Amino acid sequence: MTISRSLYILIHMNFKIIDPLTGICSGAIIAFAVSQIIPTDWNMFLAMAVGGGIGMVLKFVLLLLLAPFFGAFEVMIPLSIIAMSVGMLSGMASAQGSVPDGCISVTGGIIGLAVSAAIYFSNKKLVRLQ
Amino acid sequence: MDQRNKYDQVAKVFDFFRKGDMRRWGRVQKDHFKQMHGKILHIGVGTGMEIINFPPGLDITGIDLSAKMLERALWRAKQYQGKIRFCLMNAETLAFPDDTFDTVATVCVFCTVAHPVAGLKECKRVLKPGGKLLLFEHVMSKNLIYGLSLKFMSLFTNALEGTHLDRDTVENVRKAGFKVQSEKNVYLDIVKAIEGVK
Repeated sequence: MTISRSLYILIHMNFKIIDPLTGICSGAIIAFAVSQIIPTDWNMFLAMAVGGGIGMVLKFVLLLLLAPFFGAFEVMIPLSIIAMSVGMLSGMASAQGSVPDGCISVTGGIIGLAVSAAIYFSNKKLVRLQ
Repeated sequence: MDQRNKYDQVAKVFDFFRKGDMRRWGRVQKDHFKQMHGKILHIGVGTGMEIINFPPGLDITGIDLSAKMLERALWRAKQYQGKIRFCLMNAETLAFPDDTFDTVATVCVFCTVAHPVAGLKECKRVLKPGGKLLLFEHVMSKNLIYGLSLKFMSLFTNALEGTHLDRDTVENVRKAGFKVQSEKNVYLDIVKAIEGVK
């Protein structure tokens, strides 16, 4: 299967699959990037703040890449929460030095999935509440 | 740079960036705009992406601030099975007499209009008594977490393209003198389909 065909299928997938998938991928990517940037000997609080900052910068990049295909608000709201929380946690975990990078990325992905699920149910409740 | 120039500049890429929104909201917009009747004023036509969600056979006057956007909307207007004419106009100073239209419709416009209440008062002026205001807009969330995200992002969107993500458009509709008949959440409590009556 060609790359363009794969991209076409991904873009036209059902949003019920796309939303958690983008949440998982965004969380994992942000966590991985932070784990690669923050050195292991940093102070935990500094690492947390810088991690959060890196998360916010990556949020804008991911937003620009994803929003045209999957909707601005439906991407922006989960991504804002994922970027800040995953960035800060990954920063702290990286500064500890004892947590493997892979483990940090998987945790980022799990947080991404949890945030996507929370927003899905919150949306269902708010849309029904009228 | 003023709003008109900003929209002239983004006209080329506007459709690309709104494609996802249209996929998400197309069905809901179709349902919301089913209520359109009589003479229609569509404020903020943009590149005409929403025209496909309007019922056929209507008499629509579409306005926009940007000539480049309207140029791109022309082919969509040609495909519409009804009457559409476009005017280059600011939503805050509508060049129509009082009580002209039966319905005024907008999609994501009052986040961008510089003085939203003034713009909505203009909508009220050009609407006939009992006329409908059909808005499909994003507004500030009442949820603290979503609200903070919107406030933060609004700093950037406002600087880049003059879009405010933190406006209480439902309250603005009331301030302009409309009776809000319904406000339906489309996505969280951020994207709403609002129905007002003069």
